[in-house]
Formats: sequence, structure tokens, C-alpha cells
Amino acid sequence: MMRRQGVPPKRWPPAVLAVIGLGLILAPVAFGMFSKAPRGASMMTSFSPFMTRERLDGFQTDLRYVGNAVNQGQQAISDTGRAPGGDRNLARVAPQFHTFARQWRAVDADMGGMLVTIKANLPNYQAVAALPSFRLFPWFFVIPGAILLLLGAAGLARAANWRALRWIAVALGIALVLAPVGFQMFSRAPKGAQMMSTFKTIETRHHLRRIQSYFSEMAVGQGLVQLQLVPALRHAGLSAAQIRARYPALRALDANWVPILNDMTPMIAAMSNNIDNYQAISSLPSFQLFPWFFVLPGVIVIVIALLGDRRRGRGAAERERPRLFNPVNQGVT
Amino acid sequence: MTNRLKLRLIAAAVTAIAVPVVATGPALAAQQVRGVFHIGSGSYIRMGLPNGGYFSNPYSKSSDKTYTPISSGVGGGIRAGVAQNAPSPAFDRHGNSLANSIITPTSFTGIRFGVITTVPPTFYLSGNRLSGHLRNLYAEWNKQTFRQGGIVSGTYNSATHQYTLTWQTKVHGGPFDGYTGHWHLQGTVSP
Repeated sequence: MMRRQGVPPKRWPPAVLAVIGLGLILAPVAFGMFSKAPRGASMMTSFSPFMTRERLDGFQTDLRYVGNAVNQGQQAISDTGRAPGGDRNLARVAPQFHTFARQWRAVDADMGGMLVTIKANLPNYQAVAALPSFRLFPWFFVIPGAILLLLGAAGLARAANWRALRWIAVALGIALVLAPVGFQMFSRAPKGAQMMSTFKTIETRHHLRRIQSYFSEMAVGQGLVQLQLVPALRHAGLSAAQIRARYPALRALDANWVPILNDMTPMIAAMSNNIDNYQAISSLPSFQLFPWFFVLPGVIVIVIALLGDRRRGRGAAERERPRLFNPVNQGVT
Repeated sequence: MTNRLKLRLIAAAVTAIAVPVVATGPALAAQQVRGVFHIGSGSYIRMGLPNGGYFSNPYSKSSDKTYTPISSGVGGGIRAGVAQNAPSPAFDRHGNSLANSIITPTSFTGIRFGVITTVPPTFYLSGNRLSGHLRNLYAEWNKQTFRQGGIVSGTYNSATHQYTLTWQTKVHGGPFDGYTGHWHLQGTVSP
């Protein structure tokens, strides 16, 4: 203790801390986080009603309703078309229905594939959703940065205070290192990166246009079943009860069509409304790097706060050694 | 009073009279049309697809399914100077619009859509040319609201009170992002 008294602390450790603090404050500005992070939060909120296993299962069920109706519609045309005499109405509907059935195969493959992909990414979405809101992200940089800047400035202004201040810096450094651990960022952030990577091909205007065209084709197909095929089957001599018994999927599609629309259109709306949000958030650095944005400054702060002072101590001791052992100083002569 | 002062006073008086007249000139030229624009036979909406072509509405009563005919609702049609807001609730549990003042809710792919105005629309007549501010017209469908208003234009026959109005509005956001609503209204205007 005696050795340290009277030796001015080095000025570079608080200066470096102030620079790191400034860096942390400026990082969100440089990355455009203040505008982009709220967009990410918005996207997560918009997707939340759809990103549940139940809801995704529901979309797959919706596709099955259409798929089953397509299969049974073709079967009905085939069965009834074989009846003697045939039927003019059915003959008129048949080519349109076959066209729709062909379109449907492509729609089902693409939309079905998309749903499988989204479903596989459900744990990734949930991991990101469990992180603190995106809106807070810039502040996770700015607040510790501001504290570091203040500590550094205070250390520079009153060097004598630095020894006490540096322990606050150490505590802040430890907090920065532990924050990603506390938020489970090391496991969640890579999942977020994976989710963003998956959505790269989904959240595009081009893909939206395709999904919109599928919706249009499905609507036409449902109308074809309900307004043309079923009446044509009736005209061909089948009773309503016979149609229901032999081709229950036709009835099931009709009964479930409005719920399918209720399901599908908000999902398409969410996709559509979040393309810009996705683009904004995807232009941020990879999610995988985020824990390190806290850990690295944290470690540097700890090292500087501790070693900076130790080096000062050693240097001072070395400088003081000759003085201490000077016989004049010891009063020997 | 000097000649110069007289001239100044005359100039000031001319300016005081001329400026308001010039400013209100267009309004005087275009007469505001009041009353109810009944939506009669031949009125329709078509939804233009983002990549060209039109959305085919299987539930349309038209033989060409890309046209969805519409007709006046219980309010008689579009009321100039009156906002015809959405009722509360705006939808039934299936997502059918309950807004039945302007048009009779009409099936679009199996769910009925209605039309509302949130700001009083205004219409002007200049000769037989009709124009109007119908920016705050919205279509309501499947528990969603789409802005479909715009600057409208058309014709008006003062003798028969027959009118036509046409406009188109691109949808921004939502499931129909990039679609364009092509609206055509025709019928009579009653005071």
C-alpha cells in the first residue's frame, strides 16, 4: 500500500475504457440498429400467431383438404365419366378440373415444402423469441458503453479515483461477459442465424408473388369443386347423399374453405408485411456473432482494468526500488 | 390626395378583389355535387394481379369471373359529404364484412366484402366531367381492411342524373400486396 501512495496511476487504462465505451455506443448507430432492431421485433410479433406447432399443423391440414378434394374430384370425374351416355356438364368441367389438379401438384409441393421448412425452424424461431425483445438490443450496447465512457472520463478527470472506479469497470466487464450466458445467447443466437438463413428464400417479394398466385389458384379450384364439379355430378345423376358418401373430400373442402381462407390470408399478409422487416434485420451482422459483441468488450474491459493497474504497480515498484534501497533514503549514512 | 396615392389605393382595391376571385376560381368553375351515388347495374371491381392479368373470383355473378359486380347497400350507395364508417362489429365470425351501407356485401372467393368510407367523400362537376376525392374508401374482407380509395373521375348527365366513376388503386401490404383494384361505378345520383 505504501508503495502505491504518491505514484500517479497510468492514464491509458481509463482512456482505453472510454474508447471502448464510445465504441459500444456507436456500434448500434453504425449497424443501423435503432431503425432495424424494432423492425425485427415487429417481424417476430407478426409471426408469433403462426409460429406454433398447432397452427403449422393446421396449415398442413388445410393443404390436405384441397389435395384430398383434388384426388376425389378426379376420381369422381373418372367414375361418372365411365357411366353410359356420359354427361355434357361433366365433360365441360373435366378439362378445367384436370388443369387445376395439375396446378395443384405444383402448389402442394411448394407450399407443403415451405411448411415443412418453417416447421423444422420452429425451435429456431422459439429460441429467438425467448431472447429479450429486439427493440432492446441497441440499448444493450449503449448502456454499458455509456457507463464505460463515464468511468473512463471520471478516471481521466480524477486519476486518484481510478483505483476505485476500475473495480466498477471490472464488474461491468463481468456483466458483459455473463449477459450472453444469462440470455443463453450462445445456444439461441446460432438458432436465430439458422432461422434467418431459412427465411432468406421465403421472405422475398418474388416468393410472396408465388404464394399469392397459389392462393388465387386454390380459390379458383375451390370454386370449381363447389360451383361446377358438384353440380355437374348432380346433373350426371348422383344425389347429394351419394356424392357425400362416395367423395367426402369434396364436401370437406367446401365445409372448411372459409376456415382455410381465415387461416391462409393472414399468413400471406404476415409474409407480405414483413419482407422489409426481414430485409432490415438480415442486413445486421449475423446473429451468431452477437454473444461475442458482449463477451469480447467485456473481456477487454476486465483485462485493462486489472492488468492496467498491475502494470502500473510493477512499473512503479521497479522505479521505486532504487529509491527504496538508497542508503540515503534509509538514513544509514 | 396625390395621384400616386390614388393609384396605390386603386391597385390595393383591385388586388383585394382579384385575389380571392382568382383563388376561388376553380371552385366556382367546378360545382360540388351532393347527394347519393347509387351503385347500379354495370358497377364492378376487378382485382389486377401483380404480374398481369386479373384475379378470377369463382363466386362472381358475372360470366367473366374477373369482374365482380357490386350494387348499392342499405345506405343507397356512396353519400357525398358523409363518412360511411364500418359498423361494430365489422365482421361476422367467418370474416364476412357487415359493412352494408355503400354496397351489398358481395362474395369474393367465398367470403363477403363490404366497402366503407372513413372521411366524407367530395365530388365536383365541371361541364359533364365528374371528379372526386374518394381517398378514404376501404374494402373490408376476411377481417382485414384494404385501402381502395383514390382520385376518381367520370361523367355526369345533369338531365338524367346518370353518372359513371372509375378509378384504380394499388394495394400495399397484406395478402393482396401488389394487386390493383379496378373500380367502376355507374348509376344515378339522387339529392
